[in-house]
Amino acid sequence: MSECWTRRGLIGLAAATSFALVQGAQAQAQDDIVLGASVPITGVFAFAGVGIHAGIQDYLKIVNDAGGVKGRKIKYVAEDTAYKVDASVAAFNKITSQEKVSLYYGDSTGFSKTINPELERRGTILMAGASFASELNDPKKYPFQFMSGPDYTEMFGILMRYIAKEKPGARIAFVYSDTEFGRDPIEPGTKLAKELGLNVVERIVTPPTSVDVSTEVLKLRRANPDYTIFHGYVLAPIPEFITQAKQMNLRSQFMGTFWSMDNSMVQRMGEAADGFMGVMPYRYYYEKDANAPMLDKIRQMRPEYQSNAYMQGFVTAMLMVEAVKRTLEAGKELNGTNLKASLNTIKDYDTGGIFGVPISIPGNSVPVGRIYRFDAKAKQMVPASDWIRL
Amino acid sequence: MTDWLFLAEVCLAGIGAGALYALTGVAFVLIYKATRVVNLAIGEILMLGGYAFLGFAAGWGLPAWAALPLAVLCGGLFGAVVERTLIRPMLGESPISVFMVTVGLGSMLVGAVELGWGADPLRLPEFVPNRPVFIGEAYLAPKVAYGFVAASLVIAAFVLAFRFSRSGVALRATAGDQGAAYSVGIDVPRVFSLAWTAACATAAGAGVLVGSIGGISPTMGVFGLSVLVVVIVGGLDSIMGALVGGLLVGLIEALAGAFLGGEYKLLATFGLLILILMLRPYGLFGTHEIERL
Repeated sequence: MSECWTRRGLIGLAAATSFALVQGAQAQAQDDIVLGASVPITGVFAFAGVGIHAGIQDYLKIVNDAGGVKGRKIKYVAEDTAYKVDASVAAFNKITSQEKVSLYYGDSTGFSKTINPELERRGTILMAGASFASELNDPKKYPFQFMSGPDYTEMFGILMRYIAKEKPGARIAFVYSDTEFGRDPIEPGTKLAKELGLNVVERIVTPPTSVDVSTEVLKLRRANPDYTIFHGYVLAPIPEFITQAKQMNLRSQFMGTFWSMDNSMVQRMGEAADGFMGVMPYRYYYEKDANAPMLDKIRQMRPEYQSNAYMQGFVTAMLMVEAVKRTLEAGKELNGTNLKASLNTIKDYDTGGIFGVPISIPGNSVPVGRIYRFDAKAKQMVPASDWIRL
Repeated sequence: MTDWLFLAEVCLAGIGAGALYALTGVAFVLIYKATRVVNLAIGEILMLGGYAFLGFAAGWGLPAWAALPLAVLCGGLFGAVVERTLIRPMLGESPISVFMVTVGLGSMLVGAVELGWGADPLRLPEFVPNRPVFIGEAYLAPKVAYGFVAASLVIAAFVLAFRFSRSGVALRATAGDQGAAYSVGIDVPRVFSLAWTAACATAAGAGVLVGSIGGISPTMGVFGLSVLVVVIVGGLDSIMGALVGGLLVGLIEALAGAFLGGEYKLLATFGLLILILMLRPYGLFGTHEIERL
């Protein structure tokens, strides 16, 4: 009898303990703030996805090691998408069904557009991502999204403001890939060029699968522009384009936008890299002369070079956490509306020197950037202008 | 006057690019001709050739003249192993099953390369002479010019081999009638193996040429898909067809790109494909199979 009681007691005790444990774990999980992410660790955009993934994790580690936000930890839950919209959406559905997600990182323009109605329906999530598409920079249409830098049209704006200052009335050409990414800033960019008194002499589009660009280079030579802006590429076909153009004695200055500006990518262009210019919203990993405590911290955590995609992930996580902090400090509930409103209160905010100047986010973008030029001797992108705010 | 020059340069660029299509097309044709299998992994084997070259030239520091044949050899070896381990056990299965095996093989290769070299796009070490080539006054990009020469030599070698060498004749016999080839003592499985080896070696060589122009990345295999159009236009079982199809597609793409705009390139290519398929469903030089009941 007593043995039986003991056994029952033990079972009961075990059950009670496990119940308490589960409850505890649930309480813990409920307290965490979840940042979900669709990240392209494989596929065509993997070079960026790997960096983004590391950047987000590193910033969250800094925050969590310092005790989190108001004592609450930030939990990062990511899934690989191979840069496919359907896989991205599946990852979103999986993560949001398992966790109470307040923040989300998306991997493409396609995903950001596809998931937008769902974000509006839920109203609980603030989202940012790898896309700098001009279309997303509209707080009315995309009320719960933002991008941690200038949109592609704003990048063109920064480049062309620089050109207009260096050589008023310059002849410029756009070379872009026939993708959503590539086409994004071309129409508004052409309009803006006119306003700045620049002359767009050629717009060359390349199919996404093309390898050889000889025909396109011939067209570029006929147009003979002073400046050529590439957009919608990471590496190929930019090096071959520049090499052939130089062989034809074309004296054009070649420029790129954010995703083709990573230092290790530009290095891979070989001889073609010399003098390559472009727009960057963030400082490079190796800039030591700048007053940038956050860069020091990154270099401490990771002694080897980190890409611009890493910086993008890092700073995106930083801005998201800042929005959470401001919302919690105001004693408000964590939902899309409050998080976005808190994000928009960010004014003259110091990112620890990752953006070179204090930033503000009045809408969905951070319209700041600087022109860098590749120095073949130093094998580095070096600043070629001051920080330009639009 | 200058416009004629421009037209000439565009045509030269198109023919140069077309030669690369033709070379890769030959890899499709060799396998299809011998085994009636469309090998969809050709694009990925091409990518493997590019990475092998990078490994030998940049990793081991070998000079290009040594790295290139080694990369081609690697491709050939890979082809032989795949044929023996994956394709031969499928002998007698429906072509669709074998086709699906090649699709899977392609995905596995992409994954393996991503594991080994990472997913970043890379550049091959420069090995093609960098001095511009001028034909008369017309400029031709050096890589395209040398690519054209290499592709022409390889294709010429294949055409000669098919006509005069024992293996070439055996392959043609197998293509004509497998049963009859068996009965006259041709070792048909060996012919299959030979076709796979030669095709994969060719693809690997083409990969080095394509990679030297456009750089390499795990996703460069899509180039193989665009070449599929070429071999369908030319005829899946004709080396001549791959050559003519490649040059034709290259030329049309270049002209469309130069005079209509880059967004019309694919439109022109696939327009041509549909037209050819309507007029000659078996391709320009393909065998018209007649089934008698």
